[in-house]
Amino acid sequence: MNNFDIPLEPETYTRTDLAKLQIFEKVLKGNVEAIIITDTHGNIEWVNNTFTLLTGHSKADVLGKNLYFLFADGQNAYSELCPKLNETNHQQVESWMHRKDGSEFSVELTLSAVRSDADMITHHVLEFSDNTEFHHAREELVRRTKELSRSNQELEQFAYVASHDLQEPLRMVASYTQLIAQRYQGKLDADADEFIGYAVDGATRMQAIINDLLVLSRVGTRNTAFALVDSKAALDKALANLRLVIGETDAKIICGSLPTLNADGSQFIQLFQNLIGNALKFRGDRSPCVEIGAERQDEEWVFYVRDNGIGIAPEYFERIFLMFQRLHSKREYPGTGIGLTICKKIVERHGGRIWLASEQGKGTTFYFSIPVSLS
Amino acid sequence: MDMDTLGRPADFLLVEDNPGDVRLTQEALKSHKVKNNLHVVIDGEEAIAFLRKQGKYKDAPRPDIILLDLNLPKKDGREVLAEIKSDPRLKAIPVVVITSSEAEQDIIKSYNLNANCYVTKPVNFDQFIKVVQSINDFWLTIVKLPSGIE
Repeated sequence: MNNFDIPLEPETYTRTDLAKLQIFEKVLKGNVEAIIITDTHGNIEWVNNTFTLLTGHSKADVLGKNLYFLFADGQNAYSELCPKLNETNHQQVESWMHRKDGSEFSVELTLSAVRSDADMITHHVLEFSDNTEFHHAREELVRRTKELSRSNQELEQFAYVASHDLQEPLRMVASYTQLIAQRYQGKLDADADEFIGYAVDGATRMQAIINDLLVLSRVGTRNTAFALVDSKAALDKALANLRLVIGETDAKIICGSLPTLNADGSQFIQLFQNLIGNALKFRGDRSPCVEIGAERQDEEWVFYVRDNGIGIAPEYFERIFLMFQRLHSKREYPGTGIGLTICKKIVERHGGRIWLASEQGKGTTFYFSIPVSLS
Repeated sequence: MDMDTLGRPADFLLVEDNPGDVRLTQEALKSHKVKNNLHVVIDGEEAIAFLRKQGKYKDAPRPDIILLDLNLPKKDGREVLAEIKSDPRLKAIPVVVITSSEAEQDIIKSYNLNANCYVTKPVNFDQFIKVVQSINDFWLTIVKLPSGIE
């Protein structure tokens, strides 16, 4: 009984054919979706068990009735879809239906046509399943996305206001201590000069930190949608921003081929700028040589930024990505230590990873991966 | 380049609500060789009244340069900027937006509202002096200013 083809010649039905038909009927009756078979006007000729399960109506309740009564007020997916059956044999839509007890539930509905040999539509078949859970999940998703978006906006506003409003009192402290130093120069002792020096230095550093926090907070909160980005163009922009340093250090920049990919364009510029800026800054005695390129590895683009600078000891490979962590004193190299934190946040926002390989005294290569397909 | 293109002391209008910054600007201008007149108003409404010579400002001079802070009480600096640059009698006056904000959206907005330039107030006072003096030098000695259109 492994051949389900039934000849359907009236005189040739056999017990085997009957058995096959009975199997077909069982399959339809117990199908996971509710099934209604109607004539071409929507009058119900047959329903399966799942229909009863979902709607509460027994077969006897509905036979002969027009299926309009099943649809919630104002919605008649059936009459909307019927005319379209001439174009395609299947039409799908979301709708709402009534149960016998009056309650409503959300459905995913498919309407199809049964055609005779002469290609005339003889019956309509409606299949539907209860997609309330899916509906709720989707509503929850929308609600959470709105909430997240609102929360992000609040955060960004907070960061902006905090940094902006902090800068002004900072300036007052720094500027007036300097004014005092100038105005009373010679009239104050050496200690006073030193004290004022520390005060001003503190204020200046605070300002740099506040600016960095603002930049960092914006990576997460000011999200522009991903679009097709030519990473070579982003790199060129970053190099343009760094042209003074490149000129001063007599740096050599080598560019491999770079792909076009889905990303946030301005964040990509920032990413390149921070990594290459670092490569130039931590150059040691040699004039810097920076290589940038990318390689496709499975479903990711793996970018690299390679320098011939001072290198990083392996025990610090993780620490350098933390906020304001520095491996050198300010006298040796300037900076607040937020550059790599920003890089990491940008890369992770794109669904990628960032890591490095390095040899002290020889150079460092930073790698970051960006998935090829980004939502 | 000591020669003032105006041949007379220039009139600065400083629109700034922070007395600390007002004093700093005064100190910075004081240290400059060429003496100029600094007029100060502390909010946007006063600024417009000054420029329109209304009320107590009926004898106010027409400023040669306006130094405008963005964050002002009552009428916000951006509104003042927009008003100045859309008034045919005032829009020729150079407006230097001088503010503590480095926020890009403020920079873009200011230029879109036709600010002549945008300067951020530095934390370091020496730099602040340099900034104010540069404004003075650039706008009053290097640049050609329109002769007052009353």
